[in-house]
Amino acid sequence: MRQKHVAVIARVVVLFCSFLLSMEEVSSQSSSSISAARTPNETPDFNGIWQALGNNYWNVEPHAASPGIVRGLGALGAVPGGLGVVDGGVIPYRSEALVRRNDNFSNRLTRDPAIKCYLPGVPRATYMPFPLQIIQGQSHIMILHEFAGAVRTIYMTDQTEAPASSWMGWSNGRWEGETLVIETTGFNGMTWFDRAGNYHSDQLRVVERLTARSPERLSYEVKIEDPIVFTRPWKMSMPLYRRAESNAELLEFRCVEFVEDLIYGHLRKDQSR
Amino acid sequence: MRDSFWPLVLWFVFFIVSIAVPPALVQMSAHHAFSAEFDITKPVELKGTLVKWEMINPHSWFHVDVEDSVGTVVTWLIEGGSPNELIRLGVTQNSLAIGIQLAVEGYRAKDGTEKAVGRNFVLANGERLFLGGSANRIGDGR
Amino acid sequence: MYLLGNVLVVGLVVGGVSPKSAAAQSAGRIEQLSGTTTPEYVVPRTPDGVPDLEGFWTNQTYTPLERPSEVNKAFYTVEEAAEIEEGRFEREVAQTSPGTIPDVHYDFTQFGLDRSQSTFARSLRTSLIVDPPTGRLPPLNTIGLERARKVMEERERIGGRWDAAENNQLDDRCIIMRGAGPPMLNAGYNANYHIVQNADYVMILVEMIHDARIIPLDGRRYPSGRVRHWMGLPRGYWEGDSLVVETANFNGKNPLEGSSDQLRVIERFTRVSDDTILYKFTVADPDTWDRSWTAEMSMKKTIGPLFEHACHEGNYGLYNTLVGARLEDRKADEEDGLQGPEE
Repeated sequence: MRQKHVAVIARVVVLFCSFLLSMEEVSSQSSSSISAARTPNETPDFNGIWQALGNNYWNVEPHAASPGIVRGLGALGAVPGGLGVVDGGVIPYRSEALVRRNDNFSNRLTRDPAIKCYLPGVPRATYMPFPLQIIQGQSHIMILHEFAGAVRTIYMTDQTEAPASSWMGWSNGRWEGETLVIETTGFNGMTWFDRAGNYHSDQLRVVERLTARSPERLSYEVKIEDPIVFTRPWKMSMPLYRRAESNAELLEFRCVEFVEDLIYGHLRKDQSR
Repeated sequence: MRDSFWPLVLWFVFFIVSIAVPPALVQMSAHHAFSAEFDITKPVELKGTLVKWEMINPHSWFHVDVEDSVGTVVTWLIEGGSPNELIRLGVTQNSLAIGIQLAVEGYRAKDGTEKAVGRNFVLANGERLFLGGSANRIGDGR
Repeated sequence: MYLLGNVLVVGLVVGGVSPKSAAAQSAGRIEQLSGTTTPEYVVPRTPDGVPDLEGFWTNQTYTPLERPSEVNKAFYTVEEAAEIEEGRFEREVAQTSPGTIPDVHYDFTQFGLDRSQSTFARSLRTSLIVDPPTGRLPPLNTIGLERARKVMEERERIGGRWDAAENNQLDDRCIIMRGAGPPMLNAGYNANYHIVQNADYVMILVEMIHDARIIPLDGRRYPSGRVRHWMGLPRGYWEGDSLVVETANFNGKNPLEGSSDQLRVIERFTRVSDDTILYKFTVADPDTWDRSWTAEMSMKKTIGPLFEHACHEGNYGLYNTLVGARLEDRKADEEDGLQGPEE
């Protein structure tokens, strides 16, 4: 009988201590990484469904709330404010590039490629308001996006240069301790970083660093290099949160049929339809 | 396309046939799409300089600067096939040097612009693009 | 719905992937496939201990889904198969004649897109369908026929193919390819798949149109019937050394053979050699057919990559054709105007 009590008390003490320890990890600065669970390949295990929070997909720079550009959507089409995710505050555009960015912003309703269900590019796909799924295989890591069914193949072996340019780029990855480092090039220069016209050229090079901060959270840091558009490399960072629902699953967002009228409507023979 | 009768007949036939059509014939419908995009009565023979090769899907595009009879240079856009198999065989966007001479036989677009589908692409040395001599075929020995 | 279960399925597959000289190749090695792996083959395993299906695969083949109408047997002889393959091979690489409709197209052989230049599976089967024994699809049932009739009526109502973008086929609209499935049938070209797996998921990336099938292995239920997908929602599990994938919750718009939203597909993937996965599937749809049908094909190891098939983004063809069609309409209108109205 006494042994049973001791066993129960011991268990409670152990649980309490590990709770304290985990609290300490969570409340500590995000710069401290944890030793993530391991895959059978002995690499950190980032498998699962993740999603960014916040309003970066509207505008990665700090911004106040503002009216939307589709009047009929009222408050639901308005832009929420955001503290920004760019290191140093604003993106270091070249002066002529800034003019173009501002022009993009003024014309975003007709120019934003994501409106037409075009593949969103990197890193925009990561922080769109849609989940993504990481599947780690033996030689490739797949990053699969719900938006437009965008696919990223991360080559962990047999690495080559991009054979041709593409919307989602060409990604080579490696592990640096607890961090997954992904270098992506071969962009076609036709994607944006957000809905506010922040853009890049086909000389874009992206380096992403993913590190587990807890079993439920990854830190996501992105370095952007594009000497044609920016005066220097710059960085963004934000957390990615695990979608904890037990039935979490990427659904189809096959948006091509949602935009056909937008793209081809003016070429319809019978304009009354 | 004023007469919608024949397209309807084609649709009907395609629908019935599609229930039991061997895979190769699926390509036939693509032919129909091409003959609606490009004009069978307007064959073209273009000779010019490759200025860009867009290796994109579903069809790639070759940008070729062609000089007309009075010396004006016009950039033609010439449609080719999906580059995915070529990429598997090691072809990249560096495989075709910008500035090479290209001869293209094809058919002009119905939309009235300087666009064509490239029926046959030939290099300056007479070799068919990606195929070498007519006896060679990429993928030989695979 | 029923499966063939453990009935020994004998498929004769002519080995070798070189496309040249079909006759010579056909005389080469022949593998006998059964419903299970051959005793000698030891399937490689992932670190999780399950069969390793990872890699790049293709199910390209000359074998049609349905037995040709003039054929009444399940297998060709080696000589017959070689002759048919040689004939198909020659037809594919034959140059088209100027001024004919087939000539208004880029040459597949220049882009390596003809079957004869791909890796492909070769078989003595006269059809991929192994059940019904006729090798052909079952007839449409009453519901299926009624639905087909309504589709035809709708086609007439919406007008000609070039009257609107949405009047076109799903593949020309870059929404979904006809064979994307499931079941995954070989497209005319780029019939390639990339399989990546871990303990909890198998992902099968279908090259056209970059469709990633994400198959959970945790035995979860299907979501509500209100959640319906073009490619359905898959659920997978290992049965011995075979991966079984059951897909439901289709939205009724999958281009598979006039199917409905009651479509259910059961696929079975079994690695039978280093370079072959036996891919077997049973299709049931009580709103289309009164019985299920089963087919079998090989997936052969091939080389990657599966380059981004961003179809919609590059779909200038559809756009340009519609522009051209409207131009022709205007020209015809002007001609009518010149001739004046009929008195």
